[in-house]
Amino acid sequence: MSSQVHVTLAGALIALLVAGLVGATLWWMLHPPESYVQRIAAAAERNLERIVGSLIVAFSPEIDSAHMMALAAKLARGERSELLALYVIEVPYTLPPDAEMTLEERAALDALGAAETIANKNNVVIRTETIKARSTKQAVLDVAKREKADLIILGSYREGKYSGAPLGRVIDEIAADAKCDVLIGVEGKHGTLLIDESAQSNSQQA
Amino acid sequence: MPADSKSSQPELRRSVTPWGSFSWGYSDVGADIFVGLGLVLAWAAGASNVAFLFAGVVYVCIGLAYTELAATYPVAGGGQYFVMRGLGDIFGFIAGWAVLLDFTIDVTLFAWTSVDYSSQLLPALVNSVHPWLHFGVVLGLVIGLCLLNVIGVRESTTFNGVVSALDVISETCILCFGFLFAFRPQLLIHTMQTHWPSPYELMLGTSLAIISFVGLESISQAAQETQRPASIIPRTSVSLILTILIFALAYSNLALGFQPWHPITDAAGHHLQFWQIFPNNPDNQGKAVALLAAQVPYYGAFAALYVPVLGAILLLISSNSGVFGSSRIAYAMSTSNLLPSIFQRVHRKFRTPMISIVFFSIIAVIELLFAAAPALFPAVSSLYTRFFHGENGLDFLADLYAFGAATSYSFVFLGLIGLRLTDPLSPRKFKIPLNVPMRFRGERVEFPIVAVIGFIGIFSILMFTLFTHPLGRIFGPSWLLLGLLFYLVYRRYRRLPILGSQPRNWRTAQTEILRRAGELELMDEYVANVKASDALRAGQGT
Repeated sequence: MSSQVHVTLAGALIALLVAGLVGATLWWMLHPPESYVQRIAAAAERNLERIVGSLIVAFSPEIDSAHMMALAAKLARGERSELLALYVIEVPYTLPPDAEMTLEERAALDALGAAETIANKNNVVIRTETIKARSTKQAVLDVAKREKADLIILGSYREGKYSGAPLGRVIDEIAADAKCDVLIGVEGKHGTLLIDESAQSNSQQA
Repeated sequence: MPADSKSSQPELRRSVTPWGSFSWGYSDVGADIFVGLGLVLAWAAGASNVAFLFAGVVYVCIGLAYTELAATYPVAGGGQYFVMRGLGDIFGFIAGWAVLLDFTIDVTLFAWTSVDYSSQLLPALVNSVHPWLHFGVVLGLVIGLCLLNVIGVRESTTFNGVVSALDVISETCILCFGFLFAFRPQLLIHTMQTHWPSPYELMLGTSLAIISFVGLESISQAAQETQRPASIIPRTSVSLILTILIFALAYSNLALGFQPWHPITDAAGHHLQFWQIFPNNPDNQGKAVALLAAQVPYYGAFAALYVPVLGAILLLISSNSGVFGSSRIAYAMSTSNLLPSIFQRVHRKFRTPMISIVFFSIIAVIELLFAAAPALFPAVSSLYTRFFHGENGLDFLADLYAFGAATSYSFVFLGLIGLRLTDPLSPRKFKIPLNVPMRFRGERVEFPIVAVIGFIGIFSILMFTLFTHPLGRIFGPSWLLLGLLFYLVYRRYRRLPILGSQPRNWRTAQTEILRRAGELELMDEYVANVKASDALRAGQGT
């Protein structure tokens, strides 16, 4: 059985034309112009890369960031960020700067230990640091400057001593003066908002 | 109780990407050339490329019309919805009912040709050799697809996307290697000069060529799930139109000027041209692309192994799109009170429109029986020979497919013209070219010339189909008449306008459609257009 091949100029040109037209058509289809919403989303994504290079999660007796730690760990893992958990013990002016403050130091150990556990669970490298300072705000801002932090994460809650005013004075001041982005998480009734209240009240009535 | 959380209806998630939208359409339209090529070569012979060109021009007009309509009204329902909105309920029903015929034929025709392509590797499945086995496998596929759709195993968009991508690459390779190594321009000219068909055969070939372009409906049906439909659908539709047109024109020209890698001879030992293996040979007609691919020098050795498999898969996907497409259309028609609400009923366990799926699958099986009867029973064969010019099973299915497509497309063109006149306020991100500005009922409108050209083209193809297809001439109109009768009885029973339309607030509907589509800028534009129009009318009134 003989085999025949016929290469002609016309055939070659048509082959090129077919490949070119199909390729160009599909390329055009797959590259539609971005909509206004997509441009906003793209800008936000670019910002995210800038925001999450280095993270600091700050704790103090006035800053309760425990519930934000898991979020910070997941964010750090996803974006491969550096993560520092910082506990600030504010020393009153009535005491020397290096005064022993057993209860606060113990609270710092607990908070940073929990932070380490969360980070380990999420396979994230974390550094921890405890600082004694006259002003919590200034300590957090100084560390942020030293670490060239991109984002400071702070937590607060609605009830308790800040009833009616979720953000304490310290958090307000840090947010106002920080040179980097600040993420503040206000815990909603210690997480109970996730439960359908109507269902709960119905079941209670029943 | 938080009212919003309880009362809000879940909306279809907009997850279909540009490639997803393209592959939805491609898995339907892309499979058509696998069926159409052999049939057209068999009848239109040396004018096959002309038949494809004529059908292609009409198809471009259809594609542009669908693109404009789907981008303007991104809702599930497709042609039936556009026609209902543009011309009224009864015309919407006729268009939808014709599409339903196409979808049921789609199930059978593509399952049939899927088996034909498989027979290239499994000779036992050749219809003329083992008709009962062929029939059994096709029947099994139809029932299998029906069951899969009933229990809710849906085809994956990713799978569709991968198969479509493989097929686009494969067909481009076949054509490129074919033109490069086996195309003889002189042979093409010689074939066109010496084997020009009679007018009857050319009309028949042209009416069959349109089936290579059926399925654009799928893109508009997926509009409700497509991301940014007003922006994406015009691109995916135009790309689909161009890709399919390039393939169809290239295949037909290649086939006519094709020098096979291995010489083909008839029983008497005479050399045959490639296209000459199709007339009077339904087995070959059902697997034309695989036969051509296998004859491409060098590449053919590889293509002979995978093209039948790829073709069979693509055809099966297309067949499946007929099963779920028919249930979707029936659902949409039912919500518009064009069909009884039973077609909306969802199975308690599987959450699928079981009644709709089973009903249209049964119709597909009935069509299969009509198609397979001549091969299965010699007595029926002689009956077909006597009354229907000896049409075979594939011809029967192709006849009805062409009839359904030509009918629904004719109405879509009329619907487009109607919507341009009655709804000029809806923003059209894509508008078909060549429009004549005019005033209609106090509004500035643009009359679409392309829609008129397209209507003339598709209507002439409908006439060709009725003139040249004895089976299509009888069964197609019978399907429409039966449907109309059913519609009239249903509307009377429900005390709805029989020939008129139900009153609907299209303005509110359009705002909601654009909001759900995420086309907020278009929604603002529409609301502004409506306000400006109302203010103008109020000013004229005072």
